[in-house]
Amino acid sequence: MAQVIVVTSGKGGVGKTTTSAAFATGLALRGKKTVVIDFDVGLRNLDLIMGVERRVVFDIVNVIQGEARLNQALIRDKRVDTLSILPASQTRDKDALTKEGVQKVIEELSADFDYILCDSPAGIEKGALLALYFADQAIVVTNPEVSSVRDSDRILGVLQSKSKRSEEKREKVKEHLLVTRFDPVRAERGEMLKLEDVREILAIPLLGVVPESESVLRASNTGTPVIMDRESVAGQAYSDAVGRFLGEELPHRFLEPERKGGLFKRLFGGRAA
Amino acid sequence: MNSQTLPETFRLRAGNFNLLVLRLLDPRPEAVLPSLGDQFRKAPGFLRFAPIVIGLGDLEAAPEEVDFRALVEGLHALEIVPIGTTGGSQAMRHAAQVAGLPPLRPVGGKDAEGDVQMPAPAAAAAPPPATPAAPAASFTGSGRTAMLVAEPVRSGQRIYAQGADLIVTATVNPGAELIADGNIHVYGTLRGRAVAGAADDTGARIFALNFDPELVAIAGYYAVREGLGDAPIGRAVQVRLEGEEMRFEPLG
Repeated sequence: MAQVIVVTSGKGGVGKTTTSAAFATGLALRGKKTVVIDFDVGLRNLDLIMGVERRVVFDIVNVIQGEARLNQALIRDKRVDTLSILPASQTRDKDALTKEGVQKVIEELSADFDYILCDSPAGIEKGALLALYFADQAIVVTNPEVSSVRDSDRILGVLQSKSKRSEEKREKVKEHLLVTRFDPVRAERGEMLKLEDVREILAIPLLGVVPESESVLRASNTGTPVIMDRESVAGQAYSDAVGRFLGEELPHRFLEPERKGGLFKRLFGGRAA
Repeated sequence: MNSQTLPETFRLRAGNFNLLVLRLLDPRPEAVLPSLGDQFRKAPGFLRFAPIVIGLGDLEAAPEEVDFRALVEGLHALEIVPIGTTGGSQAMRHAAQVAGLPPLRPVGGKDAEGDVQMPAPAAAAAPPPATPAAPAASFTGSGRTAMLVAEPVRSGQRIYAQGADLIVTATVNPGAELIADGNIHVYGTLRGRAVAGAADDTGARIFALNFDPELVAIAGYYAVREGLGDAPIGRAVQVRLEGEEMRFEPLG
């Protein structure tokens, strides 16, 4: 049986899709058979971040409505052969997804994969609810900023009450906190929430902290998941997070401002300009 | 097998109940009802649907002067449920019985009902606002159960402890809402909303180990964060009503 992982946040623009792409790629790079599903029907982005937008023929809505078979819609990644992508439809809306349809897709994928990542849309409406409904584990992506923390808190409550596990009164969904777009310099200056504040409010185990990095934007624009950029601090942070997810004991890095050169200089210089 | 008896459908047992007595000082419903109404507007929901006994002992009027039917109707309109009478002359009790109010015999003698006092009619002339608080607390304060929540209460979650106190042993986050008919205890940080005494118990209190709320309310009186003024934010605090004033007192 595959583990179903939802990547969720409540709030938009915090890095769900970047995280889904990086995490799925990271799991696949470690030899796990992984599929990542875009649940953002109508605003599909995952295919772009994964660099497969030109290979999309069918999508999850076609599969649910019986217009295509699952393996016709699955896109095999060209860089990592244990990784597949199931894209969202751009021309439909979220009502095209049904619980029964999603269940059928997940059951079918379960036979072939170790991990099924569900990239949730923002909000707490139908698309987001369906993305988290079948989850065994959840990666809650949060920026160190009050509105993001509050929305993550909200989605944690939804996970506790609206997931299949909660409805069936089974062991609850395992929750992981991933703080993204963390800027140690601004946190130190009090322009951003401190890591401790975020952890105190959300009160779930910390899977990783991904620093704000230009490499994320570059990775998105070139359709290469940032985890494949081994020079980038964001890529390394994602790689650490995947390792921790699989049970490795790794210290958290990139929490302090870098004092000479590198990141600090780049960020500081960027703002002063 | 023939000796099988029919299933039992009821049992008669004696029971003692603590009831409020509304002692009439004026025989005219048109005089009593408006002042009762005034009193209850100051404590909305106070005595709502509470059974009440009408005390006739203090009335200096002839039975035919009292329109019991109008009184019963008026009390119902105020959402008070009269269930019988106590005291008064036999003729007076009989007049009440005709209107559907049977005479009740207090346990332990004629004046036993005197222990419980009700503020409304007597206090109708400019009562200090604190008066409803004491009786409300005294008849709901004890014997209440409590609901225990050991998980963080998150944004968008609402927990209602009906007819009970609410105890939370974790944090209550911004955007979360606690509601209890009784007291609220938070052994963590209270960052969301806390609504105590939701069934209009002005004696209910809110306790928080770390007080940092968005809103607190007791029996319909509320204060939003902006209105907390110099309340001791970030400390262990109890919130209670003193009349219509909300008090924030540091604990420990």
